[in-house]
Amino acid sequence: MGQNNPEGTRKNTVRNIKSLSGPILIFFLALFFFVLAGTLDENPMEGQLGPFFWPKSILILLMLSCGFKVLESFKGFGKGVADSGLEGPPIQVQTGKLVAMIVMLLAAVACMEMIGFPLCNFLFLLLFMRVAGLKKKSYLLILSGLGTILLLYIFVKVVYLPLPKGRWFFTDVTIFLYRFLHII
Amino acid sequence: MLDQLALLGAGLANLFDPLNFSMILLGLTVGILAGALPGITMLNAIVLVLPFTYLMEIVPSLLLMTSVYCGGVFGGSITGILFNIPGDPMNVPTTWEGFQLNKKGFVSKALGMAIMCSAIGGFLSALVMTVASPPFAKVALSFSSCEYFAVVFLGLASVVVIGTRSIGSALISLFIGLFLATVGMDDIYGVPRFTFGSRIMETGINFTTVLIGIFAIGEVLDQLSQKKKEGEIGRVRPKTTLPRLGEIWGLRNTILRGLGIGTVIGAIPGTGATVASFVSYGVEKQVSKHPEKFGTGVWEGLAASETSINASTGGAMIPLLTLGIPGSGATAVMMGAFLLHGIQPGPLLFSKSPEAVYTIFVGMLVCNLIMILAGLITAKFFSELMRVPENILSAFIISFCLLGAFALRNDMTDVWFMIIFGIVGYLMRRYDLPSPPLILGLILGPLAERYFLTTMIGCGNDWTIFFCRPVSGALMVISIGLLLMPFLRGLLKKGKKEVSTQ
Repeated sequence: MGQNNPEGTRKNTVRNIKSLSGPILIFFLALFFFVLAGTLDENPMEGQLGPFFWPKSILILLMLSCGFKVLESFKGFGKGVADSGLEGPPIQVQTGKLVAMIVMLLAAVACMEMIGFPLCNFLFLLLFMRVAGLKKKSYLLILSGLGTILLLYIFVKVVYLPLPKGRWFFTDVTIFLYRFLHII
Repeated sequence: MLDQLALLGAGLANLFDPLNFSMILLGLTVGILAGALPGITMLNAIVLVLPFTYLMEIVPSLLLMTSVYCGGVFGGSITGILFNIPGDPMNVPTTWEGFQLNKKGFVSKALGMAIMCSAIGGFLSALVMTVASPPFAKVALSFSSCEYFAVVFLGLASVVVIGTRSIGSALISLFIGLFLATVGMDDIYGVPRFTFGSRIMETGINFTTVLIGIFAIGEVLDQLSQKKKEGEIGRVRPKTTLPRLGEIWGLRNTILRGLGIGTVIGAIPGTGATVASFVSYGVEKQVSKHPEKFGTGVWEGLAASETSINASTGGAMIPLLTLGIPGSGATAVMMGAFLLHGIQPGPLLFSKSPEAVYTIFVGMLVCNLIMILAGLITAKFFSELMRVPENILSAFIISFCLLGAFALRNDMTDVWFMIIFGIVGYLMRRYDLPSPPLILGLILGPLAERYFLTTMIGCGNDWTIFFCRPVSGALMVISIGLLLMPFLRGLLKKGKKEVSTQ
């Protein structure tokens, strides 16, 4: 395809270079850990391979695989298994929505120990469903509230999971809620 | 032979005692539900029911546990097929094909096929267990770490068939998984590796957190961030349709291969259903006429994985009952139940408590048949969730995942790992890096390392030992053949092309 179409060839080369950024980054990370393993390696017992032999071998193989991937991208070998043209049209990503969802996930985990699971989960469900596209405020409130209560009953009352209760004032709020719901 | 039949008859009569039968029903329900919920594994469920067996007789308590076991190994397939969330690592290959079949609109049939293949695999392996327990166990007992390594290596070699578009990407992903598996305290020497001084890291990266993160969180991020047309957003409620006899007959070779692989690997202590499902899937792809279609929703892949998972349950019971060696975590807990009731599993069990042994045999046979009904009911229950709009369902899936990850060790570190691997999973999808080999490496890595180093310590670092013993040698040659297959295929294709152009 590329030989008769210079635009196509250029696009392919750009795509190849882009796809190489991952393997190159992984190669350097593997190199870092390989050097680190070298510094951590303790003298193995006489005649034994030692605790770092296995990870070092894996890291060497990982670096070789990155090299193989680079060659594969340019030479096209190794694609014999399944380069079957099954990929569909390019997917359009809503970057803003994606970033918002990731931030919410990270914030939920970061806040869980601080404000306690019940409040954190309620807020997470509410905001996540809103960002995901649910607009009705009443639905948002009811689903987040009932969902959180259901999860509390299953995981705290039935499974006895010691979910984070939060710190400071939030501990009291969580305990009050548990007592109010007859969970404890 | 006649004695055996008489004991089987007595076992069957025992089974229809109302208490025994209700234990099977209860065990199957608990097992399927536990298997289906991410974060709660079949092993958790068996451990949870163990205290309830204290007050029971040995037969109902073992029937309860074996039915939790049989149901639990199947349960994870339901959520795998419906939501791309495998309940357990063993259900990962089922998820690869099952979820793609769901996307193609074959969800009801995929669920039905999974139920039927599980039931067939479990039933036939229970039959094998009944007939061939003693000789089978003798062979497995002769295995050393060398053979175990060869079996695990075969599982790892299946990466070339799991890698969908590029072998390079699949290998990178596999070695990342193998490397992540080395984080934490080393099993053989007791030295912490890559823990950066953190105590919690010493226990290593739990593969369940990676599994939940990559598959569930990655999938949710991927689905919700895509721009969709109006028509694509609606969700349907799938029914569960059992496949027709002709359709199952069409997959007979796949089912038989899955049965063989599942039973044999299940009988080897330390391997179990996870290795069986990966190896079975890999072998099926190799023998397939259309290996390139695997990963896009192929019935053979789904059937191979499901059959082998449940076939491994019968296999795993063989060393437990005949030698007193538990082959997996689940059978180890069951061995605990035997000991709690004052019975020592092993060769003497057959002469001392034959009625208990044969009731278990019959129980497993019947349990796999009842599983068809129990599977249909549970699948229907989970299918109802498909009616829930995506934006609501996704938020609750994430909440469940947060709880599932936390429940592993009651530690927020696992939740952090799950989120990080969720983002990694999303990026892997975007950059065409296949995630299944990473999971494969993470699950099989510790086993491979342990068996490799044990063998090396035992034979003075002579790696040729793997090729010198008949069983390990044969397995290693098959594995290397698997690894070279894509290149040989490529060369063959090239050769054919050149011939046709000339």
